[in-house]
Amino acid sequence: MNHDLERRLRAALRPVDPGDDFSAKVLARTAKEPAHFARPPRSPAVAGWLAFGLATCVVLGLLLAHQWQVRRTQQGLEARRQLIEALRVTDQKLDLANRVVNEKERAPPDSGA
Amino acid sequence: MSGDEECTGGELLTQALAGERAAFGALVCRHQRAVYSLALRMLSDRHAAEDLAQEVFLQLYRSLASVASEAHLSFWLRKVTMHRAIDRLRREPRHTGVGLEEAAALAGEAAEGDPILERRLRSLLAELPSAARAVVLLRYQEDLDPVEIARTLKMPVNTVKSHLRRSLAMLRERIADAAAADAGVATRVALPGEDRSPP
Amino acid sequence: MTSSTTASFARRWPLPLALLAVLFVPVALAGPPAPLKLPDLEALAAKATESVDITLDAALLGTAAAFLDPSDPEDAATRELIGGLKGIYVRSYTFDKDFVYPSAAVEMLRKQLATPGWERLVGVRSAKERTTVDIYVSLDHGQANGLAIITSEPREFTIVNIVGSIDLRKLHQLEGKFGVPKLPLQESPPAPEKPAGK
Repeated sequence: MNHDLERRLRAALRPVDPGDDFSAKVLARTAKEPAHFARPPRSPAVAGWLAFGLATCVVLGLLLAHQWQVRRTQQGLEARRQLIEALRVTDQKLDLANRVVNEKERAPPDSGA
Repeated sequence: MSGDEECTGGELLTQALAGERAAFGALVCRHQRAVYSLALRMLSDRHAAEDLAQEVFLQLYRSLASVASEAHLSFWLRKVTMHRAIDRLRREPRHTGVGLEEAAALAGEAAEGDPILERRLRSLLAELPSAARAVVLLRYQEDLDPVEIARTLKMPVNTVKSHLRRSLAMLRERIADAAAADAGVATRVALPGEDRSPP
Repeated sequence: MTSSTTASFARRWPLPLALLAVLFVPVALAGPPAPLKLPDLEALAAKATESVDITLDAALLGTAAAFLDPSDPEDAATRELIGGLKGIYVRSYTFDKDFVYPSAAVEMLRKQLATPGWERLVGVRSAKERTTVDIYVSLDHGQANGLAIITSEPREFTIVNIVGSIDLRKLHQLEGKFGVPKLPLQESPPAPEKPAGK
């Protein structure tokens, strides 16, 4: 049956660990990288401060808007995924009911099924 | 998926973006199983899988500022892992099956339920063409639906469904043949597109 | 969703379930019932090898619907299917041993469903599969506005509670499109021996 094969596949494909020192190896490799996401140093001049402040606000606003949009999209996709899963389980259990009812109808009267 | 887990992941991301290496390390720990398992089942080679998984996280480190949320991070990691794995498979010479060493490595994974069948399924999965293999992994390891798989692999949804349909049919047929072979009857079933030339 | 599919559906589904489908023609209704009070299953989830825990209230259903592509026929059909819903609640647990979940949880649910307004439409038990399936429907002036399914299998326990009206014929016609394309059912005996050397 389709459902049985799917269940077997899920069981066969359970995630496995890469080893205890995996994250240490990754961190060792990243230690050689420059910190790309480090914040830039601030300008000491007053006018520079103002310009920097304005630019930061604009960039921050755009970034927040972008992040909000991405988060909303991710939340929507997750809700969609859960909806599909819920409908799948519902249909699967209705199929089960169908099968059990059919089995009873096919069974001889004294089978006790 | 609880709200608490999402908050914790988001905090780690924020801290990692602020330059805290421990936070980045925690993110790696949180996602390494999924990334490594995808790589392993795509490449059928533990060393290559670990190397690829490390590269994925290195790329994440470089691109961290472009990741908006914990959920986006999961999507990003899957996408990059699968694209890198498919690229690597395209570059390497094509082979028709899993070697004995890889089979032993794949067999070493802890199994519950029916370990023999599960090992067989993993071996059969390794024989699928790379695109089909990627689709099946994202469906049954990561539990994505076809639309999400299509977005991750940049593939039309109908192509994803077609891969799933054919792959499941092939897996079922191969398992039935293997069961018949175990019973002492030899069968030979052609896999669509199978390359029969020696490697 | 062709007429042949509908005819096939009618042949496959026995009378009680077909009746269920008819009852669920979506209509404008008086208020649906409150969602079932689900038992505390945290301890159960910890013992399960797999668990599905889904809570979609009206707001989340609206969010999900907004991300269904109206130009995709299946997404459009799903959107239509959930149009009358106020909530979907699913708890499903799979175990690696038989009957490790408490019968008290099942009984708690059955007690809620024994109240006026709920009617048991299907209650069957298979001795062969050691499985019990109960399907309840909530009726308001003769129209169904809630569904509860409780299945008790040796290694799996599932509760589905749908609040609102849903057309089960349309749900069944979408079967196989939620993730994995439907393959032909094979309920035949094991494959016969093939000649050697084929």
